[in-house]
Amino acid sequence: MSWTDRPADDAEVLRLSLVESERFSAIFDLHFHEIHRYVAQRLGADSAEDVVAETFLTAFRKRALYDPSRAGVRAWLYGIATNLIGKQRRVEVRTLRALGRHGPDPDSPGHEEQVAARVSAESLRPSLATALAGLHRRDRDVLLLVALAGLSHEEISGALGIPYGTVGSRLNRARRKLRAALGGTNPMLEPEETDRG
Amino acid sequence: MDELEKVRELYGEPRPDPFLKARVFGRLQAEPRRRRWLPWTVALTGLATAMTVVVIVAVLVPTTTANRAPEISGRSVLLAAATQAEADPATTGAYWRVKKSHRRTHPEPLGKGQNRYRVVESWLTEQWATEDGRIWAGSRTLGARPGSAADSEAWRRDGSPSEWAGVAPSWSSSGGETLSSSPGEGLLKPVTGRTAFSVAGRDMTFEQIRELPADPAALKDRISSMVRGAPRGSDSGVLADALSGLLWSKPSSPEVRAAAYRALAELPNVRYLGTARDERGRKGAAFSFTVRTSPTAPALVQRTLIIDVASSRVLSSTDAGGPGEEEVEVVLEAGWTDDKPAPPSLP
Repeated sequence: MSWTDRPADDAEVLRLSLVESERFSAIFDLHFHEIHRYVAQRLGADSAEDVVAETFLTAFRKRALYDPSRAGVRAWLYGIATNLIGKQRRVEVRTLRALGRHGPDPDSPGHEEQVAARVSAESLRPSLATALAGLHRRDRDVLLLVALAGLSHEEISGALGIPYGTVGSRLNRARRKLRAALGGTNPMLEPEETDRG
Repeated sequence: MDELEKVRELYGEPRPDPFLKARVFGRLQAEPRRRRWLPWTVALTGLATAMTVVVIVAVLVPTTTANRAPEISGRSVLLAAATQAEADPATTGAYWRVKKSHRRTHPEPLGKGQNRYRVVESWLTEQWATEDGRIWAGSRTLGARPGSAADSEAWRRDGSPSEWAGVAPSWSSSGGETLSSSPGEGLLKPVTGRTAFSVAGRDMTFEQIRELPADPAALKDRISSMVRGAPRGSDSGVLADALSGLLWSKPSSPEVRAAAYRALAELPNVRYLGTARDERGRKGAAFSFTVRTSPTAPALVQRTLIIDVASSRVLSSTDAGGPGEEEVEVVLEAGWTDDKPAPPSLP
């Protein structure tokens, strides 16, 4: 197997799983870790397991509605997870508050070489966390699908079912607010873009 | 650093957990009202065997979930393995050989700018030792590749490099080599200036291994006395580590292996996790304990051993929580042989 290709075409696997449902296990196997990482970052490890389980249950139930022309399977799963995270606003805000205070789990792997950078950013950590918690949910979703999941504008458009241009405007608005919180310009002085979504 | 990088840094990486996937999977299975929607969950257990040598996702998949398995104590599983170990005939040969495959996340993030990613290295090792103290070390790289799907994306954006100039493989002590995605040739080198084995951080010769007591309590006392004086009093984990090493990486007699199993069965820090499969799809019983892998290591790692009770063999050992995220060793061969030392062949 060449690992440079996405192993099999998972959209095809998903389609086949309509007839042979056990094929869905390959979807779980391929995407579990990535989806879990994203959910655990946003909601913390304790709540993540429920939400990730729910994500794959939802995906399985709705697999007949999956439209490969709109989003890849990976982006589609991120979309489902993002919608479920949206129902856990209090958990997300609590997680952000903890991240602002303590930073990520100090036992998380390695990265000694990043410690210096981390220390320098340390003082801005609470402001950044507060600014993230203060974003409108739809702006935060787009921002984190870019920053944490690494999805493209097109993938986010398909995953969340919003127009391509809306992805950009939500991302810009979120980034501007974060820059302001980190000591950049005051967002109130910049013209507000209209959200076309 | 722009605000997106600051956001990534704020969130950090979740703690690695080798049993996470199995746990979530168990949760899916444990939902009775949803059972009818989930015929696919039964198929997942077979998946590990179908995967190729290099496994991108962790595949420790319990074949039973906790709430359906009959209550089995870890102690009884280890005692059963002890009985089996004792019944093994004492074997011998010209060479003691241990061959393993290894997998570990390279400690260094690679790539440039926005395109940072981690790679997972895989390699083979094969140790040969004679009773008169001669040692050979074999190794063979299987190549490095991006870890998660997100890492693959970043690697692609970074131009899909197949070599990383200036970055050495993390497992090779010789340095100078370049980290590469390509498998390499097998190498074999004689090793001098040290004993073939170490237990609890102490050098051990064949003779000393042979003289270990075959009574579980006496064996535990003997190993404990070697552990005491180990730095940072890292006691119980080192004891479990040293005892479990006697099960597979050392030429212990059948009696000593049985005693090591019995001593492990009495250790309070050794937890039974249930049935699991190793990365080659072999089924066994999983046990775990935490251990400080070196006196200077900043963090404890959680070590998980998968044991085939029917043969009393150790199948694999996984360390989670260390600087390399997750480190997996799968035992391919462990025992006496009359084969001659040779560079490791592909499994």
